[in-house]
Formats: sequence, structure tokens, C-alpha cells
Amino acid sequence: MNKRFALFAALALVVVLAGAAFAAYEPGTKMTVGFVYVGPIGDYGYSYAHNEGRLAVEALPWADTFYVESVTEGQEGPVIEDLIATHGCDVVITTSFGFMDGTLDAALNHTDVIFGHASGYKRAPNMMTFMADFYQVYYLNGIIAGALTETNKVGYVGAFPIPEVKRHLNAYAMGVKAANPDAEVHVKWIYSWFDPGAAAEATEALIAEGCDAFAFTEDSPTVVQKAAENGMISFGHYGSQMYTFAPDYVVSGQAVNWGSILVDFLQKVYEGEYTAENLANIDYWWLMAQGAVYPEAAPGDPINPLYVDALKAYMIDDPAFGEISAYDLFMIRMAQFGDPGVTFDPFQGPISDRNGNVVVPAGMWLSADSLITMEWAFENVVGAWPGEPE
Amino acid sequence: MSWESWVISTISRTLAYGTPLLLATLGEIYAERSGVLNLGVEGMMIVGALTGFAVASQTGNPWFGVLAAGVVSGLFSLIHAFASVTLRANQVVSGLALTMLGLGLSGVIGRSYEGRPLMHTLDKISIPLLEKIPVLGPAIFQDQNLLVYIGIGLAILLWFVLFKTRIGISIRAVGEDPATADSLGINVARVRYLCVMVGGVLAGIAGAYLSVAYRPSWTDGMTAGMGWIVIALTIFAFWNPISGMFGAYFFAGLFVLSFRLQAWLSPELLKAMPYILAIVVLIVVSRGTLQKRMGAPSALTLPYTRGED
Repeated sequence: MNKRFALFAALALVVVLAGAAFAAYEPGTKMTVGFVYVGPIGDYGYSYAHNEGRLAVEALPWADTFYVESVTEGQEGPVIEDLIATHGCDVVITTSFGFMDGTLDAALNHTDVIFGHASGYKRAPNMMTFMADFYQVYYLNGIIAGALTETNKVGYVGAFPIPEVKRHLNAYAMGVKAANPDAEVHVKWIYSWFDPGAAAEATEALIAEGCDAFAFTEDSPTVVQKAAENGMISFGHYGSQMYTFAPDYVVSGQAVNWGSILVDFLQKVYEGEYTAENLANIDYWWLMAQGAVYPEAAPGDPINPLYVDALKAYMIDDPAFGEISAYDLFMIRMAQFGDPGVTFDPFQGPISDRNGNVVVPAGMWLSADSLITMEWAFENVVGAWPGEPE
Repeated sequence: MSWESWVISTISRTLAYGTPLLLATLGEIYAERSGVLNLGVEGMMIVGALTGFAVASQTGNPWFGVLAAGVVSGLFSLIHAFASVTLRANQVVSGLALTMLGLGLSGVIGRSYEGRPLMHTLDKISIPLLEKIPVLGPAIFQDQNLLVYIGIGLAILLWFVLFKTRIGISIRAVGEDPATADSLGINVARVRYLCVMVGGVLAGIAGAYLSVAYRPSWTDGMTAGMGWIVIALTIFAFWNPISGMFGAYFFAGLFVLSFRLQAWLSPELLKAMPYILAIVVLIVVSRGTLQKRMGAPSALTLPYTRGED
């Protein structure tokens, strides 16, 4: 009898505690935020950058954070449940595209909890989406690559041929063209977000084709290392941590500040502006103007100082600015991207794809919708392009 | 870039990528020849990769890293030997456990080594005179790692031991018919322990090759499935070290070409090619009669107990 009572009491306690955990967040009170990462936070790539964002949240006086790393896509459901039930999270942030449906399911089950999902497009009254996009930064990297290549062949190791990577590649190719109309951008696909062996051999294949400057989408420093081994330059992916692997050869790179978005969003939750009822149209699409992304070689250096002289000496005949050095063009474009008024965008017409189709008519700028569904390849891109429109 | 240099770089990269596959495959061939299937290759490789990187960066000598990786992965493989030989547990389960344990442990222990460059990596060497041969010279004998040639030497040595010496006869006897081997006075357990350890040592060195030579850094999960390709290659090679060498280079060649031919063939197809071939070979080989003729050890995956047969 006693045993049964103990069991009942324990059950009651669990129900009460769970009930407390599921209560809606009261603005102005202590907030508990849970994070779900697809990779290890030590990957020195995507999840590492997201964890830096979490640390910015942790620094807020009213926020506590928990995280779970290396969660397989499709298995986020139980992890989210655990964050809510065990840790009493008021807000749950999931960071991989593959977590989208699991996050939405959880949002529909826990209407009191607030959810945020990075890189997806499904929302709910209590689930917002957010993304810090790199395309402007890739354009800036492309200016440097076009100026510094000696073979007029610039390489790109791409993860998957999906719109996000194609957008970044095209922006990079446009930057290359702005600095060097004769240069080509050669691309290889590795069909993985993380595969050092494939990244290494794809880089070697690009070198065999004559490329001598490399950008990439892969979550290890492999491309940076392979390029440096051959005395060639590269652009770090997801922040300056890749610079340490080849300080003489990483010229610039793409860095992200997820914390800027997270802090902005959570601050508004804290103030009661965002609640579990009004997020259905909240989609953060933050770029350089919001400080979410920026070019970076080492911390504080958008360009590795070793290459500044060469970029100042390389002259471009620019349609807008006339005779201008690659360095000055980089700095002007960086300032324009950083201006909240938005005075320049790489994807402004007229633009034709490499098959000669007009993809952006003269006088038009691409909308965010067109950017996130991009399939075409820019005119100076060479190599396979699965899913390319005729 | 000329045709010639494209061919040279393709062959040279095939050797570089094929070497870890070759080393680990040679080890798995020995383990399976003695009758022990070890699905823990991926785990042993990643433990070797972490050990190699950690020791190389602490001591400043990459060769210490390679040696330590062999020792540690050799010891690590004893878990599988103990479970499958002494406890006679299911070899599939215990091998898988070894892989999961290796991946998990290396991820946790390796955390402090993440993102650190390695200052002293294995030097690349060129072989005098031979490197002067047109095309083949620069393709095979220039700017390679010593481990590439050690791999080729080991393939020949291990083939010789397996098929031309008494030790080899004992190993094959234990893998084919442990009861008969036992009655002839061969210590079945000892042979199996040693062969599993050979597998562990070589998988460890293969892992260290990845982290101190091929791509000098430590990243969680950096073997990225190579260990599973090794299992397929072992069968692909019909448990013969020389064929194992050709198999490893054949697979590596396909892998390297899968990036170089993207402009002409669908990248998806190229990416799938090595795996499609592996499946085809597995299907062909798994037909019983062929399996006998091609030399699959009859006692593979079967625990041995004296007096039960």
C-alpha cells in the first residue's frame, strides 16, 4: 500500500512540475532558453558559430541556457521534449534545416513555449524563423579572389547543389567578375556538410584544373589546409577559427554573429513584444547591415594585412567608380552593405545566367523569395550544376 | 593545365587517399582470415586518429603519433577480441559496439584538440632516380608520404606471410576449421587474439595517417565512414592482401575521379559509383559457391569452443 502511495505521490509531483514547466513565459522574468545543435560545438564551423551565439544569450542577466549538441536530423523531437520537461525551457532554438518539421511538431504540441528555427521556412504563432545570410560576404570575398588569382581560375568546393549554396556561389562569382572579368569560378560538389576526405580531394581536383584561390561550404578547415599546402589562398568559412590553420594564406572569410539575432529576439520576448501568439510572420533575414554577418580573416581584420598591399596595387576598371583599386572597391562595397539604407546589392539587374537567360531584368533587384529559391548559375561559373534551369 | 599533369595528379591523389583504406583493409583481412569479423574498424580508426594527433602535437614528432596510434588502437581492439573469442559473444554486436565506443570516446576526449593546427606533420618524400621516370615518376614516386610506401610494402609482406609461411597456414586453418586446427595443436584463441590486434594496430595507423599526414588536424568524426568502406573492401579483395591493395587504390581512384569528372558526368552518379560497385561485388560474392572458391573463411563470425562442432 505504501509503495503504491509513494508511486502516486511521485507521479503527482511529476505532473505538477511538468505543469510548472509548461506555463507560458511571463515577460520580465527569468528566461530559460534551450538550443539544439546538429554538430558538435567543437566543429569549428556551423555549430561552433551557433554556440558563440548562445554564449551571447547566456551573458544576458535574465537568461539561462541549455544546449544539446550532435543531434541527428529527425531525432530532434525527444531532445526538444527533454529541454522543455527537464529543464523547463521557455524558449527552444533549433539550428539545422533538418530540424524544421520536428520543431514545428513540438511548437504545435507546446503552444505555451516559444520556438525559433534557423534556416527554415515553416512558422507557427509560437515559432519564428531566422537566418544570417552570407551572400554579401561571399561577394566581397569574390572581389579579393578575382584580384589575387594569377591563373584566372578561382575554385569553390560546394556542399550540396541547393539554393543556399548556389546563391553564395553566384554572389562569389559576381565579386570575382567585378574585380576580374576574365576569371572563371570552377565548382566541385561533395554532397556533404562535413566530409574532410571529400573536401580534400575536391580541392585537389580544382588545383588540377588550375585554380589558385578557394572558397567553400564545408564545416572543417580542410580546404584551407589543402590550399595552404599548395601555397594558395583561401577564405575561411564560419569565422576566424579557420585562420589559425593557415595564417599566411587565409585572406578573408565569412563570419557570423548569431548572437545579434538571438539577443534582439529574446529581448523582445523579455519585453513582452513577442509572445507565443504573434510569431507566425516573424522571419529574421539578417545581413551585413544588421551586423549579423561580416567578412573576417582574423578577429578584427576583414582582410589579412599580408594581402592589403597587393589588393591596393591591383587596379580595376569599374563601371561605377572608374579606375579603382581592389582594396578600395572592397571597402566601398563593405560600407554599402553595412549601410541600413541598402545602396547596393550584387543581385541587381541586368543579370543573365550562363545559358544566356535573363534572370534579373535591368532595374530590378531580386526579392528575398527569389534569393532563397535560386537555381541558376552566373555566367563565369564552370562545372556541374545539378538542377540548373535550361 | 596539360593532360599529363592532370593524369599525374589523379594517380598521385589516388595513392594518397587509398593509403588509409589499404592499411585498415590489410588489418581487417587478417582478423577475418582468423575467423573474426570486426565491424569496429571505424571506431579503431578514429581512436588512432585522435591518439596520433594528440601524441604528435605533444611530442612534436609525428612518427611518435603514428606509433602510439598503432599501440592504442591495438589495445582498443582487444575489447572485441575478448568479447568475441573469450566470451564468444556475437561478433557483429561487439564490433558495432567498438565503433560506437570509439566514435563517442574520441569525441569527448578530443574536445581540447579541436581547431588546433599541427606544427610538425609527416614530411613528404620523393624517391631519387625513380621520380625521374616520365609521368609515372612524378605520379607515384614524388611528394608522397612514407606511409604510402609502407602500405604497399606491408601488402606484399602480409600476403607472403599469409600464403607462404607456417604462420599463414595456422591463421587460415583457424579461420577455416578451428576444430581441426585445434586438434593439430594450434592455439585457436591466441591466433584470433593476435589477428584482431593486427587489425587494430593497422586501423590505428590508418587513422593516424589521416590526422597527422593527410589532413593534419583533429575533428570529431573525421574518419567520416572510411571504416565501413574498409569492411566492403575486405570482401571485395577476397581476403587477399594483394587484391586488397588493388581494391583500395581502385576505390580511391573512383573517389578522386568523382570530383574530377563532374563536368562530364552527373555528380550524383559519380558520388554513388563506389558504393554501387561495392554492393554489386557483395551480391556476387555472397553467392555461396563463389564464396567458397574465392576464399571466404568458413568459420567467419563463428565462435569456437573445443568439443562443440
